[in-house]
Amino acid sequence: MSARRFDAGRAGYFALNGAIVTFLLAPIAIVAVFAVNPTPYISFPPVGVTLRWFEKFFSSEDFMNALWLSLQVAVAVLVLSMLIGAACALALARGNLPGARVLTAFFMSPLMLPAILTGLALFQIYLLAGIGRPVWGLIMGHTLVAVPYVLRTTLAVLHNFDRRIEEAAAILGASPVRIFFEVTLPLIRPGVVAGGIFAFIVSFDQFPISLFLVLPKGETLPVVLFNYMKFDLDGAIAAASMVSIVMAISVVLLLEKLIGLKAYVKL
Amino acid sequence: MNTTSASIRLDAVSKSYDGRVMAVDDVTLDIQPGEFFSLLGPSGCGKTTTLRMIAGFESVDRGRVVVGGTDITDVPVHKRDMGMVFQSYALFPHRTVAENVAFGLRMRALPKAEITERVKAALALVELTGYEDRRPGQLSGGQQQRVALARATVIRPPVLLCDEPLGALDRKLRQQMQFELKQLQKQLGVTLVFVTHDQEEALAMSDRIAVMNAGRIEQIGTPAEIYERPKTRFVADFIGEINLFDGVGSSASAIRPEKVVIGAPGNGGLPGRIETANFLGGHTLYRVTADDGRQILVKETNIGDRPTRAIGEPVALSWDPADMVQLEG
Repeated sequence: MSARRFDAGRAGYFALNGAIVTFLLAPIAIVAVFAVNPTPYISFPPVGVTLRWFEKFFSSEDFMNALWLSLQVAVAVLVLSMLIGAACALALARGNLPGARVLTAFFMSPLMLPAILTGLALFQIYLLAGIGRPVWGLIMGHTLVAVPYVLRTTLAVLHNFDRRIEEAAAILGASPVRIFFEVTLPLIRPGVVAGGIFAFIVSFDQFPISLFLVLPKGETLPVVLFNYMKFDLDGAIAAASMVSIVMAISVVLLLEKLIGLKAYVKL
Repeated sequence: MNTTSASIRLDAVSKSYDGRVMAVDDVTLDIQPGEFFSLLGPSGCGKTTTLRMIAGFESVDRGRVVVGGTDITDVPVHKRDMGMVFQSYALFPHRTVAENVAFGLRMRALPKAEITERVKAALALVELTGYEDRRPGQLSGGQQQRVALARATVIRPPVLLCDEPLGALDRKLRQQMQFELKQLQKQLGVTLVFVTHDQEEALAMSDRIAVMNAGRIEQIGTPAEIYERPKTRFVADFIGEINLFDGVGSSASAIRPEKVVIGAPGNGGLPGRIETANFLGGHTLYRVTADDGRQILVKETNIGDRPTRAIGEPVALSWDPADMVQLEG
């Protein structure tokens, strides 16, 4: 078979994939172009290259405070949702709970509600309970919608888990606690971490819930960007978006490097 | 090499999963130290449940489990000090071959140097030297099997439990592993409890076999006893081929096909005709329809250049009455 022969199926396959990738990445490319375009308003085509919008973003105290807060919240959400999500998944998959299916649907339900409703509901509850709008309340709100991601990915791993592996550890002398840390946890870790990455991004990009739960001067980056856009529409917004994107990718790469997602894919 | 092999005693052990159907029903077993003991039966007969009760994975509803003279009925799995090989091997996929084998030694908090030494020796014993740093996913089925064996035996357990350990291997590899497992067991002197549904495997490897059916033990004996002198209809039927003749009530008599002799008609014996002939290499299996309508299997060894008998050929069957076994139930 000649390798040079035109293969319609193969060409179609590449064309379709190319279209999908373009569709997904084009907005990012446009944002990147705006971020370095020196005109004082967002316009096309670009007239040059500048870093002034990045400078403006990084030198603005409002932006920096917001970025820092968003990062702190996202990291807290990452940790909390991995702990809660993994524990939930273990209980649902292993616990012989009555109504495990209903419970699973219940824990997944934050994904089905529009986040703006969840935000509004939390806002009212916090108000009624007299909690106010502390940062930990914001973290709780984000965690609520982030846990389902960890739950889903961990349940998928647990579903294919050969429990004989744990039995083998037991008969070799491992106590239940040691089995958990030596066998169970390392084997479900790829699922938990994959879910955790989603959790981080869901929190870092979270807008509708944050909108209700932040205080003035204590706003997360997406909220600050939204408010900024109401009055100014310059390249700083695009620069901030680029920083967000780079930040999210960095976290994915960092987790992949630290914990390793590929190493255990073949279970 | 190992002088600490233990006896195993199951004393009237019963287990039910739903409170009605008995998975294991009043099983009593005495396994000698160093014995190769098989639990043989069809799927669902309770053999695996019995093994899992010895291991401690299943609780016992009634009865006692005694190993080496100690009642371990209520001892948790991780304190039972047994080796076990699973059908799926159950290797730790996230650990290397050496780490897999070292696991049990690590749980026993042995010094590092001794662990290294014993892992090395165990891998040498199963001919896997040089595979220390591979992961289970990179090994063939037979190699994974050997790692599982090394992992289970490196802790020098007084008892080794095997749950259909060769079930996932192809026929040739399976036969080779049968020899190797048997050899390893004798070398280590360990008491081995082997669960299988494969009667040939059980006959080939065991010192003694317990044939199980519907949660009960039908018969315990050496492979020769089980084969030559089956006590029940179930055992006779489950092990090899046999001709069953119904008797009065639930009694029956039976004779193995190779015990039946084909002779020329007219000299006494049971007259009949060859119905089918299956040439099987070393022997030929004939189905003979006797004149009284019974169908009888006859296995004739192919010696010399005896030609295969023709379909329809009239014959007379005879046998030594001593070879006829009486069955109950």
